Amino acid sequence: MTVDAQLIEHMMEPKNYGTLEDSNSEGLGKNPQNGEKVIIYLKVIEEEGELVIEDISFQAIGCSTTVVAGSMITQEAKGLSFHGATNLITATMKILEKVPPEDAACSEMVALALKASMETYTLRQTDKDHPSVTYQITNDCTPKEEGNQ
Amino acid sequence: MKALAISMHEAWLATLMAGFMSKTTSKQKLFDFSDILFRHFTWIEEEMVVAKEGYDYNREAVPIKVEKLSVILHNIIQRLNQIDLQLAVVSPDLSHRITHDIKYITGVLAQLPDEEVTAFNTLRKLDDIELSSEATDALTLFLFEESYKEYELIMIYNYLKAHSSDAYINRIFQILVDESFFHLKSFGDMMAKMGILGVPRTIFKEMYQVEDIEAFFLAGIDEELAAKEECRKLSEAVGSNSPQLAQFFDFINNQENYHISLMKDALAHWEKDKNV
Repeated sequence: MTVDAQLIEHMMEPKNYGTLEDSNSEGLGKNPQNGEKVIIYLKVIEEEGELVIEDISFQAIGCSTTVVAGSMITQEAKGLSFHGATNLITATMKILEKVPPEDAACSEMVALALKASMETYTLRQTDKDHPSVTYQITNDCTPKEEGNQ
Repeated sequence: MKALAISMHEAWLATLMAGFMSKTTSKQKLFDFSDILFRHFTWIEEEMVVAKEGYDYNREAVPIKVEKLSVILHNIIQRLNQIDLQLAVVSPDLSHRITHDIKYITGVLAQLPDEEVTAFNTLRKLDDIELSSEATDALTLFLFEESYKEYELIMIYNYLKAHSSDAYINRIFQILVDESFFHLKSFGDMMAKMGILGVPRTIFKEMYQVEDIEAFFLAGIDEELAAKEECRKLSEAVGSNSPQLAQFFDFINNQENYHISLMKDALAHWEKDKNV
């Protein structure tokens, strides 16, 4: 990993790290190979007929790269509509296609946790007790659902 | 008591970080005070365990980025004064002890000389050692990774110790807490010198609220082996620039051998007890 000023800033002071007391959704991204995982908490509000991520936080069992990815992606996702956040996830996954799988795994885990937390929110609109959605990354970095939906 | 424990946890970390920032004789005072605050934290925790009060190690982020030491010292004094107001929830003896410690500590902190803080300048220069950019990057990543892991280990072993009445295993947990403190202080000091100091992030509950202790010991042994490998790689990366720094990481690497041996002992003791 090349260490630049931006990376150091995220490592010294990860943005949006921790739990979110007034969250109304959460989702997980997991790496089944080494037990690493990311959980993303969302506070979703409805604004002019659109679902918007008003606040977001994350926690990770993982390496510094995962924390940096979580810090960057949650910073970008804060304030986005679900539509905007879906675009962010798609764009992230596209970039990761060009990165070696072992380097892509950490960012993919964060992107999938964001996707999972948005899905949890949607599912809880019809079933308020719906469990948190989890996605896991695979060897070839193709997301696969764990089967709790 | 939970709110008090969180406040004490945060005050301990703020004081430890201030110790890393200081470049004068205040450093040792701040380290000593942070050790005392950690002990306060464990005593409050013990009272929560006895009272069967549920708790975890979640806490707020502890902002530490300052340009002058006096700013964080003032912040610590405020934190301790707030704690002093919350002490009615613990036993009278503990409350008496903590309140008197706070009175003394805040008095000393208020008198400490001010210092310019360079722990956040991101220059990534360690003393007079000339490291290549690859070695500097390797050291930077190692310090972020391992300082968090040492904090994590302190909290995990501390939690397990608080919930175990087995003297044999608790002796091992205490050794591992003490060892991780030394490593955390060594790495934190280096981070401050390199201008990349950061507060370790909070820990996932499931890391310390362990359900399968055997699996925990086995995973712990694997982690220690991985830590040894990281030390070895780093020693190699910095060796050509600084034999002295390489020796330090070999020294840390060697310490991990005893940790592995202790964890194997703990695992064997646990399995023997289970089969009685």
